Amino acid sequence: MRTLRSAGVPDSAIPDMGVAAVARRRVVVRDCARHSIRRRRMTGRAMQVICLIAVLIGVTPLVALVIATVSKGAGALSIGFLLHAPTPEGGGISTAIVGSGEIVAYAVALAVPLGLFIALFLFERAGAIASSIRFSADVMSGVPSIIIGIFAYAVYVERFHHFSNVAAGFALGVLMLPIMVRANEEAMRTVSVDLWEAGISLGARRSRVARSVVLRGALPGVVTGNLLALARGVGETAPLLFTVASPTFAMTLLIFNDATQPFPDAQQTAWGTALVLLTLVLILSVTARTIAWTLNRKTR
Amino acid sequence: MSDLIASLPPSPVAGSSVAGEGDDGSQALRPWRKRRRLPSSPLYAIVRWGGAGLFAALVIGLIVSIVSQSSQAFAHSGLSFLWSGTWNPDAGDYAGGTLVAGTVITTLVAMIIVVPIGLGISVSLSELIPRWLAGPLSTSIEFLAAVPSIVVGLWALLVLSPLFATDVEPALERLPVLGWFFHGPAYGPSVLLASVVLAIMTLPTVVALSRTALGGVPLADREAAMALGATHWQVVRRTVLPGARSGIAAAITLAVGRALGESIAVALVIGNRPAIPHSLLAPGATLGSAIVNQFAEASPGLGTSAVIALAGILLLLTILVNVAGQLLVRRRGGRRLLGVRGAVV
Amino acid sequence: MKRSRIAHVLFALAAVLIAPCWLSVANSAASPAATSAITLDGAGANSIAPFFEKVFYDYEQLHAKVTVNYSPAGSSVGIKDIQENTVDFGDSEIPMSASALAAAKGGTVLQVPVELGGVAISYNVPGAPNGLHLDGPTLAAIFDGAITNWDSPVIAKVSGVSNLPKLAIVPVHRADSSGPGWDLDQYLIATSLNWKLKIGTSKPSTSWPLPDLGEGEQLNTGVATFIKATPGAIGYVSFGYASKAGFTNAALENGSGAYVLPSSYTIGQAGAQATHLSATNFSIIDESGPSTYPLANFSWTLLYKKQANAAKSAALDKLFHYVVTTGQQQAKSLGYSPLPANVAQLAKTTLAELQS
Repeated sequence: MRTLRSAGVPDSAIPDMGVAAVARRRVVVRDCARHSIRRRRMTGRAMQVICLIAVLIGVTPLVALVIATVSKGAGALSIGFLLHAPTPEGGGISTAIVGSGEIVAYAVALAVPLGLFIALFLFERAGAIASSIRFSADVMSGVPSIIIGIFAYAVYVERFHHFSNVAAGFALGVLMLPIMVRANEEAMRTVSVDLWEAGISLGARRSRVARSVVLRGALPGVVTGNLLALARGVGETAPLLFTVASPTFAMTLLIFNDATQPFPDAQQTAWGTALVLLTLVLILSVTARTIAWTLNRKTR
Repeated sequence: MSDLIASLPPSPVAGSSVAGEGDDGSQALRPWRKRRRLPSSPLYAIVRWGGAGLFAALVIGLIVSIVSQSSQAFAHSGLSFLWSGTWNPDAGDYAGGTLVAGTVITTLVAMIIVVPIGLGISVSLSELIPRWLAGPLSTSIEFLAAVPSIVVGLWALLVLSPLFATDVEPALERLPVLGWFFHGPAYGPSVLLASVVLAIMTLPTVVALSRTALGGVPLADREAAMALGATHWQVVRRTVLPGARSGIAAAITLAVGRALGESIAVALVIGNRPAIPHSLLAPGATLGSAIVNQFAEASPGLGTSAVIALAGILLLLTILVNVAGQLLVRRRGGRRLLGVRGAVV
Repeated sequence: MKRSRIAHVLFALAAVLIAPCWLSVANSAASPAATSAITLDGAGANSIAPFFEKVFYDYEQLHAKVTVNYSPAGSSVGIKDIQENTVDFGDSEIPMSASALAAAKGGTVLQVPVELGGVAISYNVPGAPNGLHLDGPTLAAIFDGAITNWDSPVIAKVSGVSNLPKLAIVPVHRADSSGPGWDLDQYLIATSLNWKLKIGTSKPSTSWPLPDLGEGEQLNTGVATFIKATPGAIGYVSFGYASKAGFTNAALENGSGAYVLPSSYTIGQAGAQATHLSATNFSIIDESGPSTYPLANFSWTLLYKKQANAAKSAALDKLFHYVVTTGQQQAKSLGYSPLPANVAQLAKTTLAELQS
C-alpha cells in the first residue's frame, strides 16, 4: 500500500485523518457558522491577552528571584567572603566552596565513567535487558533526591560509622547517573548509523568503532549532557543532608542552615552563598551550551 | 584512517554474507541470527556489562534498601500506615495518612496554578510571540529549571513569605466564593505558599514539554482548519491543543512527579504541622518535608523505620507517576516529542 | 584535528579530577589514616550551638592540627547519632534515658555536663515592655490555647500591664523534640495543675505540643525567626539565641514566687542549686531563690567510654577539658553561664573515664 508517508511526504504535511480529528474539523465548521468573524476575532484577541498575561505571571518569579539574589547577595560578596573560613562572628564560606567542589568531584568520578559505560551498553545492545535499563534510567531520574540521600546514609554512613564527603559524593553521583546515561545515549544515537557500519565493515572491532566513531561524534552531546547534569548536581541539597559531617562543608547546606536563622548577618551569608551558587550554575549551563554549539558548528 | 586500513585483518565479514548462494544456486538469505558475531574485545564487553550490572545493582539496591528498612513500621501498624491518622513521634504514633493528604493537597493546588499558566506560556511561545523573542524567552524559562531548589526556597522563605503574610493572604481571604479556602490566620508559611513554590519549580517542565507537543501537531492540520475559515485562536483551540493532548498529559504527569519529590524548598515554607490543613493558609506537611525534618532525629528502630516508610510511600508514588508519564511520552512515538528529555534536564 | 585535541584535553582534565577522588575514597573508606591531623565530628543540641561554635573555633586556633565539626541539628539527632555510632561526640540538653543508653551500639556512654544555659520565653508584642511577669498557670493557658488574646484580663492581672494590644496570641513551639520544650513542659507540670491534668506528666510529653494550636518550627533558629517576624508570637528559645536576637523576654515566677528575667547571672543562680548533679538527677527547673531563673538546664556531651583509638580518645579528652575550663570564659558574653565548680569537677571526673 502506498501511503503518503512512504511516498516521502514529511509528517508535518500529512493531515490527521482519524475520526477524532475529522470530528474536530466538523466542530470548526460549526463554530464558524455559528459565530460571526467579528465575534471570533474578539475571542481570539481576549485569549491572546490572557496568554500574554500568563507569560508575565510566569516570568515574574524568575526575574524577582534573580534580582533579589543579586541585590541581597552582592552586599555579602567580597574576596574575603570567598576566601576565608567561617568564624563565629561570620567570616567567609571558603570551606563550603571547597567542600562542595570536593563532593561534586567525587560524584563526577562515580557518575561520568559509569554513565559512559552504561550508555555504551544501551547503544550496542537492543533487547529486553537494554530497554529495561533504559526505562529504569528514565524513571530513576525522577526519584526524589531525598530518597537517594536516605539510600546513601544506609549504604555508607551506617556501615562506615562516620559522615563524610565521600558518602555525599556517592549520593550525588547516583542522582546524576541516570541523567547522564540518557543524555549520553541520545548523543551516541545522533551519530549516523552509516558511519558506524562503515567502521565495522572495515573490520574494526566494536570497541574501536565505539571509540573512534561513536564517542568522537557524540562528544558534543556527551559534554553538554554531563555538564548540565553537573549543573543540576551542584545545586542539590537533599542528598547532602544526611551524609555530610557539618553544614559548613557544602554551599547548599549552608544556605539551608542560614536561611532559617533570625540573625541578619546569617541571612546575608545565605544570600551571598546563593549568589555564588547561582553564578556557578549559570556558568556551567552556559558553558555546556556553548561547547555544544561550538563543536556542533565544526561538524557542519 | 590510514592506521585503521593498515591494520586490517582478513575481513571476517567476507565469509558470512547476508545474501549468499544457497546450495541449489538460489539467492537465499542466510538467517540473520546466525551471522558471525562482530569482533569485539573482551575488555569492552566487561566494561559494558559491568556498567549495566552496576546500574542494575544500584537501582535494585535502592529499592531493596528502602523496602527492607520500612518493613518494621509496616509490620507494626499494618497497611493502615498509609491512610490513618496522626504522626506524633513523641507519643510513638507513626502513621502517614496526614502526610499523604498534605502531599496530595499541595501537589493538587500546585497543578491548579501551574497548568493554566504553563499552557498559556507554551501557547504564547509557539503561536503568539515572534520568533526572535520566543527563543530567548524560552531559554530563560529553562534557566528557571536550572536554579537550585534551595535558592528558590531561600527566596520564598525570606521574600515571598513576608509578602504573603502581609498582603497576599489577607487579600485572598476576602475573595467572594473561593475565600472559604483561605480562612484562618495567615502567618506566611502555609500550604498555599508551598504550592506556589512547587508551581514555580515545575513551570519549566510544563512549558518545555507542552511546547514540544504543540509543535508536533502537523502543519497540515492547522492549514486544514484555516482553510475551513477558522481564526488563529480557533485553530489553536480546536486543532492544536486537542492534537497535543497526550503530550500535554505527559507534561503534566512529569510535572506532578517533580512536585511530589521536591522536599527541601517545601520544608522551608510549609510550616511543618503534620495535620490535615483546614485551610490553604494553614501550615501543613508533606511526605518530603516530613522526611527532611524527621529523618536525622528519628529514634533508631521503629522511628527510623517509620520515616523510611514515608520515603517508601513517596518512592512508590513517584515511580508510578513517572512510569505513567514516560509511557505517555512514548505513546505517540518519539517523533512528536523530540528533545523531550533534553528540555527536561 | 582540533576536535581530537579538545577531546584529549577534556580527557586529561577528567583524569586529573577523577584519579585523586578514587585515591581519597580508598583512603577514607579504610580506617582513618594515622596522620597527625585529627577531625572530631559531633552533632547535637541546637541550644548550645553559639557556645560550641565559639569555643571550638578558639580551640582550633590554639591547636592547628585539630578540626572540630559540630552539626547543631537538635538534641535528638545527637542522641541518635551517638546510638548509631556515626559521630565522635553528641550533645543533648536532656541526658539519655536508660533505654536510650541501652540502645547505644558502641558500649557505655559517658555523659559530661559542659555548659549551663537557660530557656527564654520570648514574645513579639508591639508596645509591651520587656520582662512581662508571667507565671506557670498563665503560661500553661497560653500554650494550651485557653487564652487567645494578649489583652486577656488573666495576663493583665498576672503581669500588671493592662494596656496590652488587642492582638491574637500565636504560640510557636518546636516541631522537633527539644531541650527547651522539655524544660518548659517540666516547668508547667510543676507549676500548673491544669497542665498536669490536661497534658499529662510523661517524659517527654506525648500530647504536647498540640498539633492544632499555633505554629511549629524547626530548631531554636526557626522559632526565633518566626517570633521576630510575627506580631503576637510567643515561644520558647534558648537564651543564647534570644539574647543575640534582642528579644523581649518574660520574667517567670520561680519556686519562691519571685519573677526573674533570664540572664547569665540568674541562670547561674539556678545552676548553683545543682549540688548533687548527675546524669540521672539533672533537673534545675523551678528552683527557688530571690534571683534564680526557673528555666535553666545543663547541656550534656555524650561520648563513648571506649574510643576507637588512643589518638581520638586523647583528642576528645583534651578538647572537652578545654571546654569545661578555659572555654567557660566565653559563656557569659554568649548568654550562658559558667559551670559551677562542682559541676566542672563532675565533668573532669567523667572525662577521666575515657579509655581507648
